[in-house]
Amino acid sequence: MQIANNAFRDRDAAFEREAIPWIDDVYRFALSLTRDEADADDVVQDTFLRAYRSWHTYLPGSDCRRWLFTICRNVFLRSRERARPTVELDSTEVDAIAIGAVYSAAVREGYDDVFARLDLGPAISAALAKVPEPFRSTLIIVDVEDQSYEAAAELLGVPIGTVRSRLFRGRRLMQEQLLTYAKDAGFGIGAATSGAATTCLTPTMKECRQTA
Amino acid sequence: MFDAHDEGVPPDCVNVVLHVWDYLDGRMPPEATLVFAAHLAHCGRCDRYRRFQQRFLDALSLLRTRRGAPWSVKGRVLASLSDAGYAPR
Repeated sequence: MQIANNAFRDRDAAFEREAIPWIDDVYRFALSLTRDEADADDVVQDTFLRAYRSWHTYLPGSDCRRWLFTICRNVFLRSRERARPTVELDSTEVDAIAIGAVYSAAVREGYDDVFARLDLGPAISAALAKVPEPFRSTLIIVDVEDQSYEAAAELLGVPIGTVRSRLFRGRRLMQEQLLTYAKDAGFGIGAATSGAATTCLTPTMKECRQTA
Repeated sequence: MFDAHDEGVPPDCVNVVLHVWDYLDGRMPPEATLVFAAHLAHCGRCDRYRRFQQRFLDALSLLRTRRGAPWSVKGRVLASLSDAGYAPR
């Protein structure tokens, strides 16, 4: 009996030491997935409960944050009752060429410096929220949470090539949205002439187009 | 101007369009990275495109705020763990 109690205490001490410190990160990840604070609260609670109950499957000293993110994403997907996608894209060249063409249009019309604008924060968040799954999860894991392709592949349960193709598609979808936003918001040459929404508040100010 | 479908675009520039994300993500083999970087060093148009993509990735990374979970969420997590038997020292 004493041996069992000691084992439980050791388990709880390890959980407190390795898993509990990641509550903030898991919450942020859950909020990125759910885009709703109440839903994120539920996902976080369910994540840690599942993690505690399956703590015996966790390899001590390994990447606990990644392990928790995996559980969190699975909890999120179950909460949405979504089937795992079965159709994967292998169209990275198509996405790369498409965004090259979009960039060309942005250069012609004078809003290719849009990502240097400090006032783009809310637009970036809004654009990310509109990217559909499974591309949004991949963008969040790699580009926002700065995880490697390998970590993303393990977390998502897909090959690294699938991470790459989802990432490229997600980036393309975001850039298309943002460049459309920039054009509609008057970031281009025409707006520069009228003085609207063209101030570059970054060290790249010298790259801003000057009106004649 | 930078349409990879345009037959007038040099092959090295097409390569930049196709693989700029591989380059920025550090996913290129070392030899290909050197060739890519060498082209960027003397192709201003391609280097501007590289900077455009880098700024996009930088803007995305700014979403990585240090926002923490509200205390109410932490309380709920600890309460539910306690119900499941969690009792740290």
